[in-house]
Amino acid sequence: MESEKLYEITAYTENQVGLLSSVAGIFTRRSINIEKLLVYPSKIEGIHKFKILARTTEKNARAVVLQMEKRVDVVKAFYQEDNERSFMEIVSVGRFLKERENKQ
Amino acid sequence: MTDTPNGWMLKGSQILLESLINQGVDTIFGYPGGSIMPVYDALYDYADRLRHILVRHEQGAIHAAQGYARVKNFPGTVIVTSGPGATNVITGVADAMIDSTPVVVIAGQVASAALGTDAFQETDLIGMTTPISKWAYQIRRPKDIAWAVARAYYIAASGRPGPVVLDFTKDAQIGMAEYIRKDCNFIRSYVPVPEPTEASLAEAAAMIDSARKPFVVYGHGIILSGAEKELAGFLDKGDIPAGSTMLGLSALDSDNPHYTGMLGMHGSLASNVLTQECDLLIAVGMRFDDRVTGTISTYAKQAKVIHIDIDASEIGKNIPVDLGILGDAREVLAELTRRIKPDVKRDWDGEKAACDAVEKEKVIDPEVSPAEGLIKPGEVIAAVANACEGKAIVVTDVGQNQLFASRYSRFKQSRSMITSGGLGTMGFGLPAAIGAKVAAPERPVCLFVGDGGIQMTIQELGTIMQDGIGVKVILLNNNWLGNVRQWQELFFDGRYSFTRMQNPDYEKLAEAYGITCLSLEDRAEMPAAIAQMLADDRPFILNVHVAEADNVFPMIPPGKSVGEIMLNDKDWFVYGK
Repeated sequence: MESEKLYEITAYTENQVGLLSSVAGIFTRRSINIEKLLVYPSKIEGIHKFKILARTTEKNARAVVLQMEKRVDVVKAFYQEDNERSFMEIVSVGRFLKERENKQ
Repeated sequence: MTDTPNGWMLKGSQILLESLINQGVDTIFGYPGGSIMPVYDALYDYADRLRHILVRHEQGAIHAAQGYARVKNFPGTVIVTSGPGATNVITGVADAMIDSTPVVVIAGQVASAALGTDAFQETDLIGMTTPISKWAYQIRRPKDIAWAVARAYYIAASGRPGPVVLDFTKDAQIGMAEYIRKDCNFIRSYVPVPEPTEASLAEAAAMIDSARKPFVVYGHGIILSGAEKELAGFLDKGDIPAGSTMLGLSALDSDNPHYTGMLGMHGSLASNVLTQECDLLIAVGMRFDDRVTGTISTYAKQAKVIHIDIDASEIGKNIPVDLGILGDAREVLAELTRRIKPDVKRDWDGEKAACDAVEKEKVIDPEVSPAEGLIKPGEVIAAVANACEGKAIVVTDVGQNQLFASRYSRFKQSRSMITSGGLGTMGFGLPAAIGAKVAAPERPVCLFVGDGGIQMTIQELGTIMQDGIGVKVILLNNNWLGNVRQWQELFFDGRYSFTRMQNPDYEKLAEAYGITCLSLEDRAEMPAAIAQMLADDRPFILNVHVAEADNVFPMIPPGKSVGEIMLNDKDWFVYGK
């Protein structure tokens, strides 16, 4: 039995109504609990980004990524081990501080 | 109709029909209702360009569209109303998804202002069909219709085909917009046909050249990519035997010398034994379904595996592979054929012939040429196949009829086996046969169906009657749900729980629909009965009373390896023993 780890799964998508449930459905079907989910505009104009943290096997993480990419409106999807869990928070806080700095 | 600088001002419903015609649609399977009435009103004026076949239940519409698409190599089109009309097509949408069948479903929806209010016949069709469709989209504005329809047909038919659902609000059907013709052959987020890498092709050619016992397992992908000739050429040049999945049947001529028969649970002995004996397994356009692999942990463990598929998510999904090649089966096979060496010496040494001899004695002869007793289903299928000389389109329902038909039909032409493989939808057969016949009126269409499955969609006899669709229905009537009965006999201690079925009088039923029906019990009368059935192009029901307790063999029981095969109630063939 392959061991479960925390994976960070990201997807870059077109901005389409209903895509969230379509992406979530891929996790539901394999009984993978989403621990964290963030959807926001990516740095590429018109492209949205899903950031999902989930505990699962690498085989499942890979399968989920490929099935996400299979959706017509998903541009690309990736997975990686989540070694830096607070990365998002750090970036987010960092950005916040920077904005504050600029306003000073 | 008012001219505008770029097109015409039309109602949404008219834009839909113009857009369908622009995509090359000429046939619609449908059923009207409240939320789709504006489209039906417009259809009244398009009867010369769009043939509408009125089914008797929406499930019939989508299965007919599936049969049509599979034969015609063009998306089937379904128009239904909202609510129950839409939910009634869901089984077919799921079936089309798992069997990679291009269909476009256009369903009415309540007016956009009423969405989310539990309006009459409102249902969240997009929510329900997103997980089981390739694309599901709600059209809420007339100006989006031409775009959505173009995109729908492109997505349904391209790459790995599948079903698309368009949920069409009533206000978008009624509203006016400028109609500008739209076509679609590019979506930036969607790569339907990935390019195989040079490295993967080179490595595959080297692996094939050095293999002593290569074996090809192929599936529906051969037919979907039009790779029939390329597959035959590849097998010829490489001198490689090949077995087919159920959905791959008819891609190769049944008499092709490399062909070893169907794979899997009820496949040929040779195909399953060669799977366990080969040193290189080359899978093309197939997805290692559990009905093909048996227990995965013992499947072709001795072999290296090359998997060629258009869908990246299939590679490594069920079977670990040594090499995956992403790409279109036709292109990849053509390229591999060019690269592999000719006249490579293989070590295959009569394995297929030995398996075939065992199978003939233990399985085929008792089923197809019994000396006495009631008519057997395999016997009927072989007799029909002989009479049609392998030229008919074979449609099946699901269950023993399907398994016998897969085993004993003969094929000379591709796109000639229409069956519900992945979902295994009972009730698929009769409407799918209607669609197949509409797609190829010049060819005989023979439906093999059981007494259980035919009653699931028997209302479509009305469609056959009204449109005079010349489907030949061969009813393998054994008064049981035969496949479940077989499992109950073999694996559930003969506890026949609710599988005995009392049948209606099919002759009277057929008469009510004005369809000729002949009942057959005596083997001696079978050739004449089949000849009578095939004598003209009218609908016909051949009600064959077959042996009640016949089982489909060979059988790899659930939980067993593909090398552990039941030949009949007593005898087993165990690979390596």
